[in-house]
Amino acid sequence: MAAAESPSSVRKVVVHLRATGDAPILKQAKFKIPGTDKFAKVIDFLRRQLHRDTLFVYVNSAFSPNPDELVIDLYDNFGFDGKLVVNYACSMAWG
Amino acid sequence: MDVLHWDGTLSAKDFKIGAFAFAQKWESHNSGFPPWSWVLCPKHPWLASPEEEGYLSLEKICISRPNEEDIDQISQIDTGEEETSCPGNEDVIDDATLVQSGHHELHYCDFHIVYSSTFRVPVLYFRAYCSDGSPFPLDEIEKQLPACSANELSKSKWTFITQEEHPYLKRPWYKLHPCGTAEWMKLLFLSDAAKPKFDVVLELYLLSWFSVVGQVFGLRIPFKISN
Repeated sequence: MAAAESPSSVRKVVVHLRATGDAPILKQAKFKIPGTDKFAKVIDFLRRQLHRDTLFVYVNSAFSPNPDELVIDLYDNFGFDGKLVVNYACSMAWG
Repeated sequence: MDVLHWDGTLSAKDFKIGAFAFAQKWESHNSGFPPWSWVLCPKHPWLASPEEEGYLSLEKICISRPNEEDIDQISQIDTGEEETSCPGNEDVIDDATLVQSGHHELHYCDFHIVYSSTFRVPVLYFRAYCSDGSPFPLDEIEKQLPACSANELSKSKWTFITQEEHPYLKRPWYKLHPCGTAEWMKLLFLSDAAKPKFDVVLELYLLSWFSVVGQVFGLRIPFKISN
């Protein structure tokens, strides 16, 4: 079963945002996004929802995707069960 | 090693194993870039069998982004050098006529992945320079970085890019400070319900680490590499 098809025939990907570490959990954590969108859109959405500028965002297989990657490519590689799980964490202390 | 209780760090020995695994995968899957090389630094060279330390090195990577107005003018930039990799420039370069934009200086970066015995994690050291070898300062480097990471820098999250003496070369380099690394490495590996075995963690450690730190410079690794 691939990504959900929408009437406009743009393949949409189901994204499930998952809080990890001490990150706040979103009320609306699942949504659909066109596969042709860049991952940057997911990151920006998270930033706006959480009112945080600095987020650590990653997918399974211990990988942090480049914001320029297409959501559909990420789904094809890291998706399972019909969705792409995107993990996020806050207060990433670098220094 | 029980992954559930893992603290996100590596021993020096494991760093070396992980570094070689990383360099191998990089070479097989990341043909857009030259390979990483392992630079050996014997700790006590006077001993018969010196303790072998080392670091990974990737040098002369072009980090320049074309200016908006240059994009139309730039075709093949012939610097006379073989293979300067320009992340992000790939789509705008075709090999039609030779045009060099006069005011667009190319800048390069050397990257070293060095083990920190204090933090027990890899650290990315870097320095940037112009084509004549003259050093390129940090605030100028920041202007060359991809828009999203330049954005992060402006929010002072990145004040921890520090200038330090390279632990082996004894010259000033910049580095991405490692004190948070163990924490986010743990998150990367332990957030899945299925916890990996430690030898898998070791195999993928540097790749996962680099998927994060490489973004600062727009260095992409193809995600097929982690399969």
